[in-house]
Formats: sequence, C-alpha cells, structure tokens
Amino acid sequence: MRLKDRYRFIRQNIKKNRARTFMTILATAMGCAFLIVLASVGYGLQQSVVKETLEDQVVTEVQVYGKESAEGYDSITVADIDKLEKLDHVKAVTRRTQLRQMPIYTLDEYKSEAMAVSAHYPSEIASGLELSDGRLPEKANEVVVGYHFSDTLVIDSEDVVYDEETGYPEEEFRYKGELIGQTILMTVKQDEEGNVTEEIPLTVVGIIEKPGREWMQDRDVYISQEVFKQIETFTGTAGGGIVYDSEEIETGHLQVFDQVNVYADNLEEVQGIVDTLNEEKYATYSVVSEMKQINTLFTIAKAGLILVGTIALIIASIGIYNTMTMAVTERAPDIGIMKAIGANPKTIKQIFLLESTYIGIIGAIIGTIVAYATSVVVNIGLPMILEIAFEEEMPEGLQFSSIPLSLVLIAVAICLIVTILSGMRPAKRATQIDVLKAMRREI
Amino acid sequence: MIQIKNLSHHFELGKKGRKTILPVLKDINMEVRRGEIVSVVGKSGSGKSTLLNLISGFIRPTEGEIWMEGQIVSDLSEAKFADFRLKHIGFIFQSFQLIPSMTAYQNIELPLILKGEEEKKRKEIVVRMMENVGLRDFQDHYPSELSGGQQQRVSIARALVLEPTLILADEPTGSLDSETESEILEIIQKLNQELGITFLIITHDEEVAQIGDRTISIRDGRIMEGANAV
Repeated sequence: MRLKDRYRFIRQNIKKNRARTFMTILATAMGCAFLIVLASVGYGLQQSVVKETLEDQVVTEVQVYGKESAEGYDSITVADIDKLEKLDHVKAVTRRTQLRQMPIYTLDEYKSEAMAVSAHYPSEIASGLELSDGRLPEKANEVVVGYHFSDTLVIDSEDVVYDEETGYPEEEFRYKGELIGQTILMTVKQDEEGNVTEEIPLTVVGIIEKPGREWMQDRDVYISQEVFKQIETFTGTAGGGIVYDSEEIETGHLQVFDQVNVYADNLEEVQGIVDTLNEEKYATYSVVSEMKQINTLFTIAKAGLILVGTIALIIASIGIYNTMTMAVTERAPDIGIMKAIGANPKTIKQIFLLESTYIGIIGAIIGTIVAYATSVVVNIGLPMILEIAFEEEMPEGLQFSSIPLSLVLIAVAICLIVTILSGMRPAKRATQIDVLKAMRREI
Repeated sequence: MIQIKNLSHHFELGKKGRKTILPVLKDINMEVRRGEIVSVVGKSGSGKSTLLNLISGFIRPTEGEIWMEGQIVSDLSEAKFADFRLKHIGFIFQSFQLIPSMTAYQNIELPLILKGEEEKKRKEIVVRMMENVGLRDFQDHYPSELSGGQQQRVSIARALVLEPTLILADEPTGSLDSETESEILEIIQKLNQELGITFLIITHDEEVAQIGDRTISIRDGRIMEGANAV
C-alpha cells in the first residue's frame, strides 16, 4: 500500500470523527505549547543573564587580579607582565595603574577633580581600545580622557548649582566646548594640605568610547607612564600617593599594576589561558568561565522544565490513546473486511500508527504556533505587569521567554514519540481483530 | 487448485477449566480442480461455512492440511496468508461485506490499493470492472444507496479486480430475490467460462448448487458417501 493511499485513508477516517479528532489535536497542541512555553522561560532567562554578563565585556578578556603567595595575593609586577605576554595565544596584556591621589584639572575657568590612570598604550591598542573621538597619545604629555570627563569640568565659582537628585552640577555650569586639542593643567599635591604642588600641562588628544551601560560613567584621565613616573618622583611615593608623614617617603619602589587584562587571540583559547594562569597561581576572572557555569546551571533548569512539560504531553497522550482505541473499535468491521480481502496486519498497524502520528504532527505544529504567540505576549506583557505591580523598572532588554529552533525540535520530537507510543497499543489491537467476528459485527 | 487432506476441526467453547469441545469437521478429503465450479451443500450447522473459513485462512484447522497453488497454506502465518489471499483469492459474501463509508468505486478499488497499484492503472481497472458488472453509473454511490443485487455486483467486481484464479463464495445469493439471484449466477457462470476462474460456492440453495460442475454434500461435519469429493 502506497504512502499516499495511507494518508488518504487517514484523512477519510479523521473526517468521519472531526469533533473527536479536533479535541485530541487540541489537547496535544496544548501539551506541546505548555512544554515549549515552560522551557522557553529557561531559555529566555538564560539569554537575558548571558546578555547581561556579556554586555560591555570582551569575551576574549581574562582579568588577572594578583598572584597567590604565602602572605596572600601579590600585585602584578613588570616581571609578571613579561611572563603573561609570553603565553601562547595571548594577543595583548593591558596594565593600568591608578594614581593614589585625586588630581585637580584646570581648563580656562573650568575645574575638575578626576582619577588619573596610567595606561600602556601599545597593549591598549592591541587589545582593541576604541575611541569615540580623536586619537591615541603619541607623546608623554598627551592624554585621552573618559567619555564623561567633560561633565566634571565645572566653572570655578561658588554660584554653581547642583542637581538635587543626581548631585551633578547643572548643565549651564559644565564645560561645553571641544576638548580635543585643549591643554588641561593637572595639579598634584605632595602633602595633604597642598602646600607643595606641581602643575603638569597635558594635551587631550582623544576621548574613549562611551561605556555600554547607561549607568556606567568614565571620568578618568588616562596619563602616560612617563607622567605617572614624574608624579611618583614628585611625591616620592609608590603610585604618587600623598605623603601624610614625611618619614614614610620611600626612596625606591617596585612598579605594580592595579588592573591587568590578558586578551586571547580567539575565543576558543580563553579557557586554555585561564587554566594555565590558574596553574601558575594567578587569580583570574573570565566571562567564558562564568558562562560555562551559568550555562551548566541553565541546562539543568531547562532539562527540568522540559521534563515537567513532557508530563502535560503524556496527559494529552491519554486522549490520543482513547481516540485511537475508539477508532479501532468503530472501524472493526471495516478492518475485518480489509483483512478478509488480503490486507496485511502490518499495513493495518501502520495506518493506525500513521493516524496517531498525524494527530501528533498537527498538534505539534499548532502547539508551536501557540507557544510562539504566547512567548511574544509574555515578553511584552509580563514586564509591564511586573512594573505596575512592583513599581520597579525592569532591566532593559529583559527576555522572559525565548524559543530557539532547538527547543521546537526537542518539543516536536517528544510530542511525536509520545503520540506514536500512545497509538501503538490501539494499532496492535487493530491487527488482532478477528475477521469473522468483525464481519459478523460482533466487535 | 485446492486439495484438502484429512481435515478436522473443532471449536473450544466455555471458559478455562470448563471447556467443551465441539467437533465441526471430521476427516475431510476433497479436491477442487482449476476451472471448476464446485458447490458445497449442507444444512445449517453442517460445517460448510467452517470449511470455507478454513480454506480462506480466517481460522486454522485442528488437524489436516490444505493445499492451494501447490503449497500448504494451512501452516502459513497470518501475514503470509493475507498476502496469499490478496494474490490468489477473491471473495463473495452473503452479506456483501462492503465498507459503508466508501463509494462503490472505492470499494472496488480497495484490493488494488492494498496491492500498491498506481492510481492511473487503478482507475482504468475499476472503470472496466464497473462496466463489466453494469454499475458504471453508480460509481459514486455508497452501499446504502444501492440495491442488494447492485451491492453483490460491487462485491463481485471487488473480487475480480486483482484477477484471482479462485473465488470463494459464501451463500452468494442468500440475501437476494430470485430474479437477482439468477443475474448473479449468470455472472458467475460467465466468469467461469470466459476467464476460467475456479469457484467454490457454499450454499444450501439447490438452484445455486446446480450451476456447479460438482456438488459436495456435507452432513454433521463429514462429506456424505457418494458425493463427488474428488
């Protein structure tokens, strides 16, 4: 018997009991939709968490905090940097050191207080540092500034009005001119009272790209290592810190770095670098390692949700079993006639199995469409409801439900397995129908 | 064509532990040759229908062998017997046994579908068959919309579509009036003469039995002495 003819048979049979078949398909569709929507919450939240974690983070970046020693953790030194740079698949090792005091910057009648950070520009360029305007420094007294640095430049007057909510100076008091090419005067102190100060003229040549998140502010001034050393020489302290007690003045100190990032040349090598660094007893953080943990956790959660969803499908399968059993009973005389004229029991079994599969496929298709629609409604509606209920703004881009193709395939596969299994017994019963009893309408 | 050797059959009645054995056929030996019309006659309960059911493979004999087309069919599995039936045997039943939800055309087409024949070829064969039995204008009618004689003609057409060498007929005119009975018997004789199809007809009607080349009488599960069983 040809597949096309089997399909025609099934359609004919289904037509006979439209209402019953429709209700069975509906139950299967609901089970399938429930499974997909339930698991989609796991997928959606995973996507949101991963997105949140990855936002503004370079996935090839490995942050190195220090090296384990007998006393605890040692800061990263120049020797460590050399070692890190020699590791396989390392593209760049950026190192930044924060000045241990808050300098004052002057530009005409505007003044600002902002942190100064010493950066190693060749490695910053290699790591892919992006500027929103200007260029990277080429000379010792050239600097790049954070995207929000200009907001800190405020008229040097007592009349400055500050915003009550944010605490920032009102717009009209802030510097609005072009920063690139301007020379700002950096004033550093040697002592707490500021009796001894030094003024270092710095030319702004570039502005760093805006941080990815709205709430992040970059107001730092990125000075060269030469200027940093000049300040250290002036204060006589490591990191250019203010001298509180003249006896504390150090005569010699080891250069250490506050923020060291290792960049791998591709994503696949990150975990290898992290493992090597951990073996070398460096304290590290990598978004890839974190992703691995997050993904493991969500995989377990998703598997649990799919399992719960499958229970709904199993309940729906009871409906299919019932429908198919009824169909076999109702069609027993027809089956008897077919068997009498030479229908193979295998063919009869296949017709009924195909019928339950047909119900499963239609149910899965409808279920998937309903699940997609529900997912869209949940993603639009739920944040609104939660915002109203808790009077709290939901994180931007928060996704409650996500339906990737893999989830649809898993759900359809489960749906088909469950429906085929539930159709097995009725199909077998159909093959066992006694020809004579069926023809005498005794079944 | 058909050889039956030492065939006996009994039914087991009642529940386990209190079973009663009911012998139906006892030591049957008979033969049906190719191209013959053989009538099996006997009173109700004589075992003639059981004999037909055993030859059809709907039930299995308790003892003995049934040979058809040179092979023992009484040992075939259900699936293999089904294939054998489809290939070699056509059936005409007293109550026609048409599928009510199918039109006359679809009922006749059914064996061709089961065989896996192409749609185009099926149409060609079914239309020809319907013309042969004079039902061309009734192809879209459901069995409930046809008279008894028309239904039996549909049944005959269904039995013939796969060009079987043997047709087993169980009381083929049992549900028909005398006029229609004559029409059906004429068709059977015509098919036998023109196509050489072998017929084994089970009947209790003398008039039907008379169209046969031989008549075998069964009484109390045994072939009567003097009957032309071979």
